Amino acid sequence: MANRRVLVKRRKAIQNIRKITRTMQLIATARFQAAFGRATASKPYVARLTELVAELSRGAGQVSHPLLSVPAPEAPTALLVLASNRGLCGGYNSNVLRTAVAALEERSAAGPAPELHVFGKKGAAYFRFQRRAMASQHLDLGDAPRFEEIEPVAAELMARFLAGELSAVEVVHMRFHSAGLQRPEIFQLLPLQPVESGAPQAFPVEYELRPDARALLDELLPASVRIRLFQAFQDAAISEQSARMVAMKAATDAAEEMIRTLTRQYNRARQTHITMELLDIIGGANALA
Amino acid sequence: MASAKSFQLEVVTPERVVLSSPVTFVAFPAYDGEMGVLAHRAPLVAKLGTGIVRYETPDGTRHLFVDGGFARMDGSTLCLLTEEARSPEAIDPAAVERELAAARARKVTDERSFAERQRALARARAQRSLQGKP
Repeated sequence: MANRRVLVKRRKAIQNIRKITRTMQLIATARFQAAFGRATASKPYVARLTELVAELSRGAGQVSHPLLSVPAPEAPTALLVLASNRGLCGGYNSNVLRTAVAALEERSAAGPAPELHVFGKKGAAYFRFQRRAMASQHLDLGDAPRFEEIEPVAAELMARFLAGELSAVEVVHMRFHSAGLQRPEIFQLLPLQPVESGAPQAFPVEYELRPDARALLDELLPASVRIRLFQAFQDAAISEQSARMVAMKAATDAAEEMIRTLTRQYNRARQTHITMELLDIIGGANALA
Repeated sequence: MASAKSFQLEVVTPERVVLSSPVTFVAFPAYDGEMGVLAHRAPLVAKLGTGIVRYETPDGTRHLFVDGGFARMDGSTLCLLTEEARSPEAIDPAAVERELAAARARKVTDERSFAERQRALARARAQRSLQGKP
């Protein structure tokens, strides 16, 4: 009897959990779609900017710019780690953080320890637990990173890089390849990778440039640094929601499985109980007869 | 006749494509002053300043606030790449007044802070002048 009551209670608890995880899955799906939409909406800007950079560097020939070279090789590098603010997203944070720690160790062995800039509460909590010094923590970024929020971060990093306080800036984030595939990735934000000027066109368009190509590139390169950082944040946001979606789907499925097992156990216990009672009654009747 | 001379105007920010519509004339703030573009203009790449883009659509003249970026005229399309673009409806008058007050209160100690103050002032003034316009 007591056993049955316990089973009913547990089943109810699991049913509640399933309700919650299913809701979270639905919310994550909605957020994922929103994030995906935002990422798609920012594609035209990236495409046009890249086009413009390629176009101009074709005209300018060999491009040399302070953002393309290393001003102070012995200065420390900076490592930006993009983790999430919230948990319940499967292996998302641990994957990013594992990659970050590996990179950190590798860089520390080769030269001065990199500066650690952490985004997201989960990342900050992890490094605090590990007792690693963080140069900065940013815990206030929401699910939908806005360009205005990312721009000051990029501006500060560029200023410090140009001043020779940093020799490189690297970003660890979850790269979004598709809904089914995300991989932690490290990419170098600064110095910028040299611009590929692309194949020369058959009929190049002669642009009127105001001001000249050099001055335009001076503006374009920082803009492309900003947009690359922004894209990294966007990728991280999509990946997070996607990971949460998958994790919550798995949790819902597991809950369903568990409910099925518990129901079976309960039914069996109930049947056993009935059989026992019947046996009791029949035994009693036989004894009297 | 108007349709014959129209071309495409695109305004693109990192977050989205703000505008893509056929226009007959566009005046945009280049880094050194306002620049006007009609259909069939020669290919051009220009740096943008802070200010107001004025464009003429078949339904009348409309405005947009932009802050920095690039303009690229390429055959039949003028593309404005900017990190910030706002339509007049999206501008909050109270926020602009606050921005203007903050810009005025900036202390000028050297050339750089002077340039920054001028930029902030230009931003706020351009947005203020846009209020009530289509």
